[in-house]
Amino acid sequence: MSSKKWYRSLSELENSSEFDEFLHREFPQAAEEFPEGVSRRRWMQLMGASLTLAGAAGCYKEEKLTPLAARPVNRIPGEHQYFNTSVEVAGQPYALRATSNDGRPTKLDGNALHSSSGNGGSNSYIQGSILDLYDPDRLQSPFEKDNGESFLRSWDEVDSAMSALVKQFSADGGAGLGILSEPTTSPTVARLKAALQKKLPKLGWFEYRSTSNSNQLAGAVKAFGQPVRPLFDLTKTKIVATFDCDLLSSGLNAQHYAKTFADRRDPKGEMNRLYSVESEFTTTGTAADHHLSLASSKIGALLLDLEAAIDAGATKPADDASHAEKFFAALADDLKANAGDCVVAVGPGQPADVHAIGFRINSKLGNIGKTMTLVRGDKPVDHADSLKDFAKQAKSGELKAVVILGGNPVYGAPADIDVTSAIKKLEVSAHLTFLPNETTGKCDWMLPMSHILEGWSDTTLADGSYGIGQPLINPLFESRSAIGMLAVLAGESGDLQSLVRTTAGNVSGKLRTEAAWQKAVHNGFADGTAAAAIEPTTAAFEVDAAGDWKAPVEVSNGQIEVLFTSSSTVFDGQFANNGWLQETPHPLTKLTWGNAAVMSPATAKALELVDHQLTKVEVNGGRAVLPVYIQPGQATGTISVALGYGRTQSGIVGGDEKQGVDPVGVDVSSLRTSSSMAFATNATLSPLQSEEKLASTQDHFAIDKTGMEGIHDRIGDLIREGSLDEYNKHPDFAEHRVHHPPLESLWTEVSYEGHAWGMAIDLNKCIGCNGCVTACQSENNVPIVGKDQVQRNREMHWLRVDRYFGGDDPEQPEVFSQPVTCMQCENAPCEQVCPVAATVHSDEGLNDMVYNRCIGTRYCGNNCPYKVRRFNFLNYRKETKQDNLLQQLVLNPEVTVRSRGVMEKCTYCVQRIQNTKITAKAERRAIGDNEVVTACQEACPSDAISFGDLNNPNSDVAKAHADSRSYGMLSELNVKPRTRYLARIRNHHPWLAKADHDHGHGHSHDEELGSLESNGATVASHDSTNSQEASV
Amino acid sequence: MASVSISTDTTTVENPAQRNPLVIGTHDYKSVTDKVVAISDREVPFAWYVAFGTSVSMTGMLFALIGYLVVTGVGVWGNNSPVFWGWPIVNFVFWVGIGHAGTLISAILFLFRQDWRTSINRFAEAMTIFAVACAGIFPGVHIGRVWFVYFLAPLPVPRLEMWPNFRSPLLWDVFAVSTYATVSALFWYMGMVPDLATFRDRATTKTKQFLYGVAALGWTGSARHWHRYEKAYMLLAALATPLVLSVHTIVSFDFAVSIVPGWHTTIFPPYFVAGAVFSGFAMVITLMVPARKWFGLGDFVTERHLENICKILLATGSMVGFAYAIEFFIAWYGGNKYEGFAFINRATGPFWWAYFTMVSCNVIAPQFFWIKKVRTTPWMMFVISIFVNIGMWFERFVITVTSLSRDFLPSSWSYFTPTIIDVAMFAASFGLFFTLFLLFCRYLPIVAISEVKGVMPKPTAEATAETSA
Amino acid sequence: MSLIFPNWTNRLLAAAGAGALIGAGYVGTIVFAAMHPTTHHIGYQPTQPVPFSHKLHAGQLKLDCRYCHNTVDRAAHAAIPPTATCSNCHSGKNAKGVTPHVAVHSESKKLAKVRESAATGDPVEWIKVHNLPDYVYFNHSAHVNSGVSCVSCHGRVDRMEKVQQVKTLSMAFCLDCHRNPEPHLRPLDKVTELSWVPDEDPEVVGAKIREELNLHPKVNCSTCHR
Repeated sequence: MSSKKWYRSLSELENSSEFDEFLHREFPQAAEEFPEGVSRRRWMQLMGASLTLAGAAGCYKEEKLTPLAARPVNRIPGEHQYFNTSVEVAGQPYALRATSNDGRPTKLDGNALHSSSGNGGSNSYIQGSILDLYDPDRLQSPFEKDNGESFLRSWDEVDSAMSALVKQFSADGGAGLGILSEPTTSPTVARLKAALQKKLPKLGWFEYRSTSNSNQLAGAVKAFGQPVRPLFDLTKTKIVATFDCDLLSSGLNAQHYAKTFADRRDPKGEMNRLYSVESEFTTTGTAADHHLSLASSKIGALLLDLEAAIDAGATKPADDASHAEKFFAALADDLKANAGDCVVAVGPGQPADVHAIGFRINSKLGNIGKTMTLVRGDKPVDHADSLKDFAKQAKSGELKAVVILGGNPVYGAPADIDVTSAIKKLEVSAHLTFLPNETTGKCDWMLPMSHILEGWSDTTLADGSYGIGQPLINPLFESRSAIGMLAVLAGESGDLQSLVRTTAGNVSGKLRTEAAWQKAVHNGFADGTAAAAIEPTTAAFEVDAAGDWKAPVEVSNGQIEVLFTSSSTVFDGQFANNGWLQETPHPLTKLTWGNAAVMSPATAKALELVDHQLTKVEVNGGRAVLPVYIQPGQATGTISVALGYGRTQSGIVGGDEKQGVDPVGVDVSSLRTSSSMAFATNATLSPLQSEEKLASTQDHFAIDKTGMEGIHDRIGDLIREGSLDEYNKHPDFAEHRVHHPPLESLWTEVSYEGHAWGMAIDLNKCIGCNGCVTACQSENNVPIVGKDQVQRNREMHWLRVDRYFGGDDPEQPEVFSQPVTCMQCENAPCEQVCPVAATVHSDEGLNDMVYNRCIGTRYCGNNCPYKVRRFNFLNYRKETKQDNLLQQLVLNPEVTVRSRGVMEKCTYCVQRIQNTKITAKAERRAIGDNEVVTACQEACPSDAISFGDLNNPNSDVAKAHADSRSYGMLSELNVKPRTRYLARIRNHHPWLAKADHDHGHGHSHDEELGSLESNGATVASHDSTNSQEASV
Repeated sequence: MASVSISTDTTTVENPAQRNPLVIGTHDYKSVTDKVVAISDREVPFAWYVAFGTSVSMTGMLFALIGYLVVTGVGVWGNNSPVFWGWPIVNFVFWVGIGHAGTLISAILFLFRQDWRTSINRFAEAMTIFAVACAGIFPGVHIGRVWFVYFLAPLPVPRLEMWPNFRSPLLWDVFAVSTYATVSALFWYMGMVPDLATFRDRATTKTKQFLYGVAALGWTGSARHWHRYEKAYMLLAALATPLVLSVHTIVSFDFAVSIVPGWHTTIFPPYFVAGAVFSGFAMVITLMVPARKWFGLGDFVTERHLENICKILLATGSMVGFAYAIEFFIAWYGGNKYEGFAFINRATGPFWWAYFTMVSCNVIAPQFFWIKKVRTTPWMMFVISIFVNIGMWFERFVITVTSLSRDFLPSSWSYFTPTIIDVAMFAASFGLFFTLFLLFCRYLPIVAISEVKGVMPKPTAEATAETSA
Repeated sequence: MSLIFPNWTNRLLAAAGAGALIGAGYVGTIVFAAMHPTTHHIGYQPTQPVPFSHKLHAGQLKLDCRYCHNTVDRAAHAAIPPTATCSNCHSGKNAKGVTPHVAVHSESKKLAKVRESAATGDPVEWIKVHNLPDYVYFNHSAHVNSGVSCVSCHGRVDRMEKVQQVKTLSMAFCLDCHRNPEPHLRPLDKVTELSWVPDEDPEVVGAKIREELNLHPKVNCSTCHR
C-alpha cells in the first residue's frame, strides 16, 4: 500500500468494498463490532488515527516526504531518541528506557540510571511489551453492549454514563458500586482510590491478579508483626539460598539481583555460592552451584529442619548419603559458617508460614541489616479472597455495578470462583481493557485502555523510589489509562500529567518545583525517594510445616503435586496475543506456543506416560487435558503447568473463537482453587491414547540412544566448565579440554588492522533468562513463524540459548545453558560455499550477510557448524498475519526487513556499529572502549555478554578473550570464532565436590593434562591458542 | 561345427574358438533397417497412448507444482534447519547419476573399441539426456529466489566488479552439469544423423520427410560424409570422456568440500562416479529389457549385451560397497569425534532404515549377478535393476539428509519429514523422463542402425546359398 | 534434395538470416535499455506540491543548503525542512490579519499550501526525488563531514528550477567514490558551495584533505547493507 493512498483516499474509500476488507484485515474486532447507529463518516473519524498511522508504514516508487509542520526541539528526523519511563509490565514495576524513532517507540530496555535494572538489563516481558502497542486487535473505541449488539460510544457519552453511575450510588455512600482492579504500585491510583473512598465510604474495592506476592507480606506480618518486604544486597552476600524462588529472573528487582549476583561470579575474586531448592527448574536453579529438586509442599519442612540444623550445627554426611542429605548438610554448614554473609530467599508461591520461617532464619543468622534490608510493604491482600468477596457480593445483590480496571478475572479466576455469573448478576458492568478479552465480552461497557507508553503514570520501584511514566506517543486509539478512568469516577479534574504531578508533590515536596520534576521525568524516577530500611523485632510464632521431606518419593497416582507457574513468556495470559513472546522458548523446556504437563522421567515412567502424549490431570475436582513434556530435574512426583494459555478471546495470535483462531495451549485455571493458588496436591493423571505435538525449539523429537551417547560425548567440549578447585589448579583448563593437531588454513590468513569486532559470553554469569533472545528479535526485525513452523524446526531467532542436562541422576541433574549466535568466524565456512558471494567478510572481521544479494541456495546454512543461520522458508510476516500496516510500526528502521527465500543471521548488530562509527567520525574522535553495545548485551541483566574492538586492549571484550577461562566453541575446526566463551566455574561445597565428576565430561581434567604432557599434544593446542590470540 | 550352431541360439558362451556374434538371427543390412524403422513406422499401439497420456499428465503436475513452489516458497518442502537441503538435492544427484551410463557407453566404450556398445548406445544416450533434463530442474527451482538465479552468471557490470564466488562448489556444479548436458546432446544428435537420413529416405508422408530431412542436415551417405562423420564422432567421444568423470566428481564436491561430518571426505569423487555408473547402467537394464521385448530387438540387443551390462553392475556395485566400508573405516581411523558419530548415526540413528535399504539394494542385490542364470535371464536382471535404482536414491538420501540432521551442535539436531509436495515432485519428474522417452521411441531410431551394420557378420557364402536355395 | 525440400524452402535461408538479425536486435535493445540513464531514474523530475525553486533560493539568493536541510551534517537524513522554516520568510497573516514576520509573497497563490500547512499543522507532502532502495543505508552526515559535496550526488541543484536526479546513484556509482575518493573531496567549508572548483588538481586537493581528515572509505557490504 502506498502511503499516498491511505492519506488521500479516506473519503473515496469510505463506501468501497476495499475499505471493508481493510477493516476486517487490520481491525477485525472493531470491524465486527461495526455499530449500526453510527454513520460511516463518524466511524472514519474514529478510525482516523490508525489509518494515518498506516500511511507511515507505506513504501512505493513514488514516496512522499511529509516533514512536520513544526519540528519539536531536539528532534532530528530519522535519529533515535531515548526517554526514561517507569511503568508496570506484567505486574512488576520497572525503570525503563524507551527508544523512539520519529515519535514512534520501537524498543524498550532497562533504565541504567536505576539500580532495579541492574545495569540497564531487561527481560522478555519488557522487550515484548513494545509489540503490544501496535497490536491490531486492540480495543479501539468505547462500545456499549445492549442485548447482544454493541454500539459505538464516544468518551463523552461514557463519562456522562459513569458519573451518572457514581451519582446514583453516592446516595447510599457508594454501597452497591464496586471497583475490581489489578493490584498496582501506582501512588496516583492509591491517591485516587482514597479520594474515591472518601467520597463513597461504602464503595467496594476489590483486587485480583492470578499470581501475587501477598504470601510474603503475610509471612512478614507473622514474623515481624508488620508487613515488610526484603531487599537483598547480593554484593555483600557469600551464600545465596533460594527456596522455590526464581530470585534472579522473575519477581521484583530480579534484574538487580542478577547483576549483583553475577558481579561475584568471577573466580579471580571471591566467588559466591548459590544453593537452590525448587520443584520446577527455574533459571536461578540452572545458575545454582548446588541444586535440589523438591516438591513445593515439602519446602516448609526442609526449612524447619534447616533452622534446627543451623542451631545444632551440621555434620559431614556419609559418602553414601543421598544427594538430598548431602545438599542439606552442606547448606546448613555454609549458612552457619557465613552467618551475616548469606541470604535465604523464599518464593512467592510458598505459604505465609514458610515465608515466616525464612524471615526467622534470616534474622537468626543476622542477615537483616547486612545482606538484606526490610522496607515497609503494603497491607497484604489475599487476592483470591478479594475476588471471592466480589463474587459473593455480586451474587447476593449487595453489589449492583462494577468498574473493572484492566485484568481478565473471568479467565484468570480459580475454579471455585464463578466470576462470569457474578458479572451477569450485576446491573452495570464496565471493563477498561487493553485487548478485548474473556471478561470484556461479559461486560456492558467495553472501554479501551491505553498502553503503558501512551500516557502519564507513576509507580513505586523495587527500592521504593517514586517512578514516573511519561508518554512516548499519543494514544493511537481512543483509549484511557486506569488513572484517567479513576479520575473520572472520583470527579478529579485535570489531565493525566497534572494528576500524576499532584501525587508526585505529595510523595516528595521537592518534586513540586519544576526543576526537580523535569529531572525526575528525565531520569524516570525521583532521586532520594527510596524506601527507608526498618529493623523490626521478630515476634515468636508457631507454624505447621513439619514433615519428612527427606523420604524418597514414591510416585503414586492421586498423590501427584501440581505446581501452577505464571508462564515465562505470556505471563498470566496478558501477552497471549503477543507473537514475539509466544515464540520465545521457555528457558528450560524450550517450549513455544503452548504449555504442557512438565514432569521428570521417573514420574512419567511411574505414570506410564511418554513425551507429547495427552494426559488428563484431575485435581480439586477440576480437570484439564495436557500434553506431557518430560524434563529432568522436575521434582519427582510433581508436575508443573503454566498459566496464561488456552485463551479463547485474545486475538488473531493467541486464539479467538469469534475469528475461528484456536487457543494456544491449555487453560489450567480449572485445576486451581482459591486455597491452592500456587500448588495443589493429590492430583491424578490418567494417560490418553492420543498425542499432541508440542513446539519445542530444542530436541525437536525424542532423542534415541545413539543420539544420547553422542550428546553426552560432546557436551563437555561445547560447554566447558569446572569446579573452583579445578580452576585454581589449572586456570586455563577450558582451552585444554579439546586436543587437536596444529590448525592450518587453506587460505592466506587475514590480519585485521583497524577494528576487529568480537564478543565474549561469560557462562559463569549467564543465567539463561532469554532477555537477549527477545531483545534481538525486537532490534533486528526478526519475524515470528508460528507454531506449525516451529514444529518443522524453522524458528528464526538469531540468538538462541542452548541448554543441556548432565549428571548421572535425571531426577537431580545439572543444567548447562549457553547463548549461541553467529560467531563471525574468521574462516567462515558459510562464506566459502555461497555461490553468489552474498555472505562475505568485512575487513573488520564481520561476517556480512547481504540480503539483497542472497538467492537462497541455503548452502551456507548446511555448512555452518553452529547452525545459527536462519532461512525465510515462507513469507512469514504474511503467514503469521504480522504484515498489517499497524504492526509494521514496530519495525526498526535501521535494519532491512528480509523477504521470503533469503538467509539471515546475526551480524553483531552491525547497524549499531556503523552508527557509532559515523558519530565518532563526525565528532572527530576515536570510538570509546566499550561504546558499541549490541542489543543482546544491552538486555543482559547479568552483564554476561561483552562486545567491542579486540584490537583495543582496554575494551572489556579484549580482556575477556585474554582471560584464562576463554575458549572458542568448535575452534578445533579452525573456523576462528570471533565469539569466545568464558568457561563456567561451579563453586562447590567440599562435601558435594564429588558432583564435579558426573557432569558429562569425557574424563577428569587431571588425566587429561597427563595425556597432554605425555603425548605432546600440549604443544599443538598451545600453538592453536597462540594463533587464536595472534589473529584477534 | 558345434560351436557355430551354439553361437546362433545363445550368445553368452565364452568360446575361444569363435567370437559371439553381436547380431543374431538371419539379418542382412536391409532387414536391420526394416526392423528398426518399423518401430516408428508401424501403426502406433494403444499401449503407447496410455503410457504417453499418463506421463504427460504427470509432467503437467510437475510444472504445476513448480509454479506453486515459486509462488509460495521452498517452505512447501520438508526442508528445515538443519536439513537445509532435502529431497530436491537428493533427486538432483539421483538423476545426474543416471545420466552417466549414456556417455560412458558412447564415449569410453567407443574409444576402447567395445563393439557391443553399438546396439545400446543410442538408447543409453537418449536416457542420459532425458535424465540430465530431469536433474537440471531440481537445483533450478531449489533456490529461495528463483527470479535472481542470474546472480550465478558472471555478468559483467561496468565498474561494479561484482562476481559470483568461484570458490563455491555450487558454482562449479552449474558449469559442470550444463557442459555435460550440452556435449551429451551434441554427441547423441551427431550419432543419429545417418539414421535420420535413413528415416528421411523411407518417410511415408511429406511432413515426416521434411522434418527428418531438416534434422538429417542433408546427409547423403557419400564417402566424404562418412569420413567427416567418423572423425567428428571420434573427437566428440574424446571430449566427452573426461566429462563422464568430471560431472559427478564435481557434484560430489558439493558435499566433500563442506565441513559437515559425513560429507567432508576425500573418497567422494571416485565413490560418486562409481555410484553414478552403477545407477546409470541399472536404469539401462530397467528400460532396455522391456523395450527389447516390445520392439522385438532381441536380435540386436542380445543376451550377451545384457550380460555385459550385468557384469558392469556387479563390478560397480561392489565398488560402491567397498566405498561404504572404507567410509566407516576412515571415520573410525580418523579419530574425529563428529565424523565417527555421523557414521554410527547413519547405521543406528533414527534414519537406520534408509541406511539399510541402501546397503541391501546397492551391495547385496547386485551380488546375485555372480550367478550366470541371473545374468542371462531378463526378468531377473530387471528386478535387480529396480532394486539398484531404489538403493541409489536412498544412498543420496542417506548422505544428504542423515548427515545434515545431526551435525555438530546437538541443540540443532532434528528429524526430517518430507511433505506431500516433496514426494509428488519426485514422482512427477519420472513423468517428464518417460514423456521424453516415449517420444524418442516413437519418432527416432532407438538403435544405431548404421553402427549395428558395422558390426554384423559379413554375408558369408553359405548365408547367400541358404537364401538362394 | 529437391525431392524433399520444395523450392520455397530456399527462402528459409533468408528467414533464418532475418531471425538472426532480429535476435541481435533484441539483445542490443536489452543492453541499451539496461544502460539507459532513465533505468537509473536519471532525469526523474516529479512536480512538487509547492513549486519551490532551488535555482532561486540556493542559486540567486545564495541560501546555504543547510539553512533548510539543517540536519545534513548531524544525521543520516538531510531532513526536508518543516513548514516552519518556510514560514520564517513566507508566513501569512495571523488571526489579527497582521503578518508577524518580514513576509515575502505572503499572498502568493503558489505558497497557499505552505500557509495552509502552517495554519493547520498538516505536513506539506513533498515528493521524494532521490530514492534509494530500502536495503541501502546512506548517511548524509558521514559524507558531508568527510568533505564530500552535495553536488557529487545531487548535481548543480542551485541551477535547477525543478529538482531532478542527475546521477545514477547505482552501486557502481557509490563504489567508484569509495574506491577512489580523492577527486570528490573538498574543504569542509566548501561542501555546500556547489559552484566551487579547486584551483589545483582535484586529485591533489583531495589527497590532502583525505590525509588531514584521515578518511578510509570502506567497501564492505555491511557499510551500506544491514
